[in-house]
Amino acid sequence: MAQVMMKDLNKKYDEVHAVKDVNLHIRDKEFMVLVGPSGCGKSTTLRMVAGLEEITSGEISIGDRVVNDLPPKDRDIAMVFQNYALYPHMTVYDNMAFGLKMRKFPKVEIQKRVQDAAEILGIQELLKRKPRQLSGGQRQRVAVGRAIVRHPQVFLFDEPLSNLDAKLRVQMRVELKRLHERLETTAIYVTHDQVEAMTLGDRVVVMKDGWIQQVGEPLELYGRPANKFVAGFIGSPSMNFVDVKVADANGALWAETQGIRVKVPPIHTSRLVPYKGQQVTMGVRPEDLHPASGSDPREYCFDAVVDVVEPLGSEILLDLRVGNNTIVARVEPTNRVKVHESTRLALTPDRAHFFDLKTELAI
Amino acid sequence: MRVATTARRRDIQVAYLLLAPTLLLLLTALAYPVGWEVWTSLTDLSPLKDGPTAFVGLENYRRFLADPEFWRAATVTVVYAAVTSVAKLSLGVGFALLLARPFRGRALVFLAIFLPWAYPASVSVIGWYWTLNPPIPTAYSVFMGNVKYAVDGVLGGGAWAFLSVTLFNIWRGSSFIGVFLLAGINAVPPELFECAVLESKSAWRRFWLVTVPLLKPFLALAVFLSLTTAFADLANVWMLTAGRIVYPVVGTHAYWLAIRGGQFGPASALSLTLVPFLLAVLLILFRMFDPPEKERA
Repeated sequence: MAQVMMKDLNKKYDEVHAVKDVNLHIRDKEFMVLVGPSGCGKSTTLRMVAGLEEITSGEISIGDRVVNDLPPKDRDIAMVFQNYALYPHMTVYDNMAFGLKMRKFPKVEIQKRVQDAAEILGIQELLKRKPRQLSGGQRQRVAVGRAIVRHPQVFLFDEPLSNLDAKLRVQMRVELKRLHERLETTAIYVTHDQVEAMTLGDRVVVMKDGWIQQVGEPLELYGRPANKFVAGFIGSPSMNFVDVKVADANGALWAETQGIRVKVPPIHTSRLVPYKGQQVTMGVRPEDLHPASGSDPREYCFDAVVDVVEPLGSEILLDLRVGNNTIVARVEPTNRVKVHESTRLALTPDRAHFFDLKTELAI
Repeated sequence: MRVATTARRRDIQVAYLLLAPTLLLLLTALAYPVGWEVWTSLTDLSPLKDGPTAFVGLENYRRFLADPEFWRAATVTVVYAAVTSVAKLSLGVGFALLLARPFRGRALVFLAIFLPWAYPASVSVIGWYWTLNPPIPTAYSVFMGNVKYAVDGVLGGGAWAFLSVTLFNIWRGSSFIGVFLLAGINAVPPELFECAVLESKSAWRRFWLVTVPLLKPFLALAVFLSLTTAFADLANVWMLTAGRIVYPVVGTHAYWLAIRGGQFGPASALSLTLVPFLLAVLLILFRMFDPPEKERA
């Protein structure tokens, strides 16, 4: 039973305030992903949980114990590093047994645990090899194995898949998810890849500049981003942002800018009333734009000129120009629109987002 | 088939062409002098002798093996090399570990550790000489004078001089080895050390189980450099004692014979006597630090 609590957690280096007032409750058995661009403080946060970085202020507890002053070894955690951190002078077996040996486990117990882990990961054949005789994917399995054998209360993953090629990354992602379901151990996973975050996390923490931006389940972050940063960070291709003026006409609110005049969807109307006459940022995801057809209400349509066509097979990405804005739309692969042609687009009304221009918070 | 063979032959020719400068350098700067020395050691070559140089076979070597003076110099050399190497390595590892992590004033400590080696030997020697034999009479110079008499009184005349040479070698050598091993530590991904921190509280165990094995190639090279410079040391001993050598090492002994005594043959033989011994040590060293590994398919 191990939940992880972070209370008012801060990390300051000489000039950099890397982690700012982080409060986070990671539940027992939860797979929590910390995601954000480089330098956002996610790795530093993880390293403070591990005990590799000192805590400037605040409190971390694992299970029921405050671990601020506990040496890493006594925190009952196991960490998997981005570059695997396998010892080149040891065999796979010795690498996996390392932590147990350091803790003076009996030999029989070590052997059993290493065998079990090797079996789970399908690396029994590799136990006598040295790390340099392994492929990247195999090395990462060994690194995960070294963590598993310790039966820790919490797994810490620091960008474990970033060194793998794209195909292997997808494969290992699935394996990690399966592994977590099997072991049911609390896990904190750091990545800069929002796809990894969305697919692996029970919940996801988005960080930027040391601040937590939002904590939530993947679809919650996708559907109801708390601010413009989260909206742009989660989802690929990124959400389109257009600065619009909120105008009042014919008893309804309209979002207007050069080339676009769409009605504010009913679900947003009440919240946008105070912004009447002001500028706000409208956000629409590429997948929430589609070629307009007769059934689309006219007040949600606008015209755009195609700049670039990117056929991806399962879909086509259109880069379009509307007034001074460039936007991306994700359309069906059967779409036959050509470069420089004008096309009429419609947006899915209840999927539009609005953000305060100054605070960038969702309205 | 024929085309391929021609292309391959041309590749080999180009390879030799590219190797030629290095080979030329090795032949003129290394192989020729060593060959000449081996040949000289088998003769009675001397600028002081009239008449033709005679081939004397192993006579020069035989004379040394029977000469207690040689055995004394050889013993002193081995002790000198062993003591300085152990001390330099321990201090060097300590310096490297100290400098590997950030702390306030690290730059100054780094400078202090690096300077003895960064200065030319001649300057370092004078600095060292004056530290142990202050040129200006002060309370300190009186104190150092007493130390010298005390050491010489217990261990015999010249002991202090030799001790100061040993200390100088350690002072200057540990500086170099420290910086060298620091480069080694910096070349190891930090995660490998961090991973050990996660598993053990004991810095001592982590040092022996992780740091030492990871630094093996660097340690081997450090020991190698330390041993060879100590075995071949002549300049430091000579400069620090101004030639008043009571405890000769093989290097100074050979220098005396050749330059002062004009006996090129015996001097060459003398300087070559340590070679087999040194080779054996190096072989053991590399076996120890870099064991030949059975690669698996």
